[in-house]
Amino acid sequence: MLVSKNRDISLLLNSEKQSLRRFLTLYIFLVLALISLLSISYYKSQEKLMFSNQRTILSGYATEQVKRLKILHHYFPTKDEYPRDSRFKSAIYDIERVLIFSTLDNNHINLDKVIYRAGNKIHFIKYLDDYYLGAMYLIIEIDEDRSWYKDTILHILALGTIILIILAIFGLFFVRLFLKPMKNSIELLDNFIKDTTHELNTPLSAILANIEMMDQSVMSEKNIKKLARINIAAKTVSHLYQDLTYLVLGHQRISKDEWIDLKELILDRVDYFYILSNSKKISFELDLKEKKILIDPIKIARMIDNLISNAIKYNKRKGTIKIVLREEYLLISDTGIGITSDKINSVFDRYSRFTSSVGGFGIGLNIVKSIVDEYNLKITLNSILGEGTTFKIEFPKESLK
Amino acid sequence: MKNIIKTITITVIFSISLFSQNVFERNCLVCHEHFPASLQRMFMSYLKVYSGEITMKAALKGYLKKPDKKLSVMSDLFIDRFGIKDKTDLNDEELEEAIDIYWNLYNVRNKLR
Repeated sequence: MLVSKNRDISLLLNSEKQSLRRFLTLYIFLVLALISLLSISYYKSQEKLMFSNQRTILSGYATEQVKRLKILHHYFPTKDEYPRDSRFKSAIYDIERVLIFSTLDNNHINLDKVIYRAGNKIHFIKYLDDYYLGAMYLIIEIDEDRSWYKDTILHILALGTIILIILAIFGLFFVRLFLKPMKNSIELLDNFIKDTTHELNTPLSAILANIEMMDQSVMSEKNIKKLARINIAAKTVSHLYQDLTYLVLGHQRISKDEWIDLKELILDRVDYFYILSNSKKISFELDLKEKKILIDPIKIARMIDNLISNAIKYNKRKGTIKIVLREEYLLISDTGIGITSDKINSVFDRYSRFTSSVGGFGIGLNIVKSIVDEYNLKITLNSILGEGTTFKIEFPKESLK
Repeated sequence: MKNIIKTITITVIFSISLFSQNVFERNCLVCHEHFPASLQRMFMSYLKVYSGEITMKAALKGYLKKPDKKLSVMSDLFIDRFGIKDKTDLNDEELEEAIDIYWNLYNVRNKLR
């Protein structure tokens, strides 16, 4: 399961974007279907109107032609010239639908209709009461006046566009209306985190400072263990606090890029997480080559911290975390629970968690993704359920040193 | 002797001319030639009522086998003057052949321009 995640992280969550996309697709489909139906109906009515207008004229031509056929019938064979008229063409068919004579340009005849379009011609069928010259059907043909067609298409396009624009404005209004509760929830959560973060700062600093200041040489073995546990808990909270601070204030901060020795940084962070990983008997396997990268030190630390913290959080007891650093990439693998394929696409979304049994807000990987995007890095994720997950960060060529 | 030769010659010429005629000329044209309404006009009257070839031939055959005032396409005046013709003594094959010849002779199709 390999997923490339290089899209921008915006304030909207994936689910929100998906809802928006689905709603708009359905809405546009329905609007287009409605406009198509209205267009077809309008086109048909205009066609009917045109036929109705033409029918009056054609009926007059047919009556004139019948009179001429009657005269020819009477004088045949002395006179044998079929009557012609500059205004129309005509043809006669007998009761068995066999052609008697035709001057038509378009010979696609439908004797079951009264009036119809044949190519760019209009055919009108007149049924004779007396079969002069044996003719039961008289077909009158004229050129179709296409001006009605052009007018109709223009009307459809103009009205269709106006209706589409109006309905699109309504659609956008409805979408905003529907998504407002979702946006409100996200805003509420953001505000809550912002307030909580602010309140966490002072007590957390006090706890960490005091742990550092405690003299372990005078403590009993039991108390040293207890202090270690307090240290783990405080560091976990500290990590969470840093993530939240980054999330709330990080985007407002101007990046101060400098050359960072990534190997040194990773060793430092592994050391920082040692007590935490040791609590789950997780061991590190490090295969680090020298690598320097031009990046903001706070941001790269957040990125590494979150990937290691994630690998610890979702790892099995007595598991392993393997970190490989090369000139082109960084790999962080765990031997944890893995991620199901349906969740892979949303792991980088804010408030997205692999499982509810493990604590956290689901913001770590969202922060990683935002940093990756900012520095044009590429993150890929390979996960096998029950076996573990590997995150691979590829460095752009220009940062290779 | 001269008279015998003359009679034989006339008989032979008459026989040749008689057998050179087709079934239509022998059985229809002979009488209709003397009518004021030509066979062409009668054909046009049939055409005006029956329109198509199959329809008209069937109607004509039916009428010739069983002539009836109600079935005639001719005017009452004509019938009052000349009456209804006698039932044909031609068999079906001869009758159909005669009608086919009649149709081909007076048919409108291919004669209009």
